[in-house]
Amino acid sequence: MTNQTLVHPGQMSARSASNGAIKTITADTFTKLVLDAEGPSAVEFMSYGCAHCRAIEPVLEQVAKMVGAREKIFRVNIAVEEELASTYQIQGTPTFVMFLNQNEVGRVEGPSPTVESVLAAVTQPFES
Amino acid sequence: MNRDPLSESKKQSKPILLFNDECAVCRHIGHWVQRSAQSQSGDPSIIVQPIGDDPETLRSLNPALDIWDAYATIHVLMPDGSMRLGGEAVAVVLRNLSNTKWFAWCFDASLFGFRPFQVVLNAAYAILSDVRPLFGCESCGKPKVLRPLQWMTQWAKTLIGRKHHPLPTPHFSSLSTGTRRSRGVASRLLPQSRRIL
Repeated sequence: MTNQTLVHPGQMSARSASNGAIKTITADTFTKLVLDAEGPSAVEFMSYGCAHCRAIEPVLEQVAKMVGAREKIFRVNIAVEEELASTYQIQGTPTFVMFLNQNEVGRVEGPSPTVESVLAAVTQPFES
Repeated sequence: MNRDPLSESKKQSKPILLFNDECAVCRHIGHWVQRSAQSQSGDPSIIVQPIGDDPETLRSLNPALDIWDAYATIHVLMPDGSMRLGGEAVAVVLRNLSNTKWFAWCFDASLFGFRPFQVVLNAAYAILSDVRPLFGCESCGKPKVLRPLQWMTQWAKTLIGRKHHPLPTPHFSSLSTGTRRSRGVASRLLPQSRRIL
């Protein structure tokens, strides 16, 4: 919970002031950006109302910048994309599903919100 | 024709209360405020709106408004472009409701720059915000202080024969059974080629 109780016009929050490194994708763009894409991709199935997703968000932004061009990281909002969540049998949030060559190669549910944990979750499936 | 409450509020310069529609406690309070805000003329004194799922829609209301922040703390968007958060937002709501504004003056009462009633309200909001999971919030997660209570409840359920499914990790929010059931129906409607699992 934030301690700030008044935000003046024109004042930006720390989150909104930062440029997001993670793109939100929908059912329409999922096939093109993830399944048909060359190279590894990690997809976070999340919801904005989920406290754990909120905790992991800044860490994931950091990890996305660390992996850079080697791997693409996307976000799917399951509150909007219910069919995608159903297709991939998402049981809760946040769930990371890793894809390579149209196949799921790994899945991690609720990693600890630390850089080490999230980095391991999104990179280890591609190392074997 | 449906009237968009947000565009209405822009025209009428009303404060906008954003609430978390995924949280049972917030939803209940939001609906109470909505009912209380209706005047006899049908013109609400404050606009009550779920936060929703679109970050851009929120930014169009106020460029400083971030969707993660909106879900973390109650926000009231003021007509002058500022935002009130937490206990200050609650005070704005109470000042705008006909059945509570009679006592809401006390939150402005100041003693040498110190507003004692506002401090109490801030503390009350912080406590309620932290214990929401106890009252049925499906989305707020469980604060560490409540986890022993949760474990005891699960242990008690196993004693009376209810099956206990432990969470694989404390950093994971399971979807509710109802949500999963409706999603199961949706998955059957999807073409098989989409299923790669």
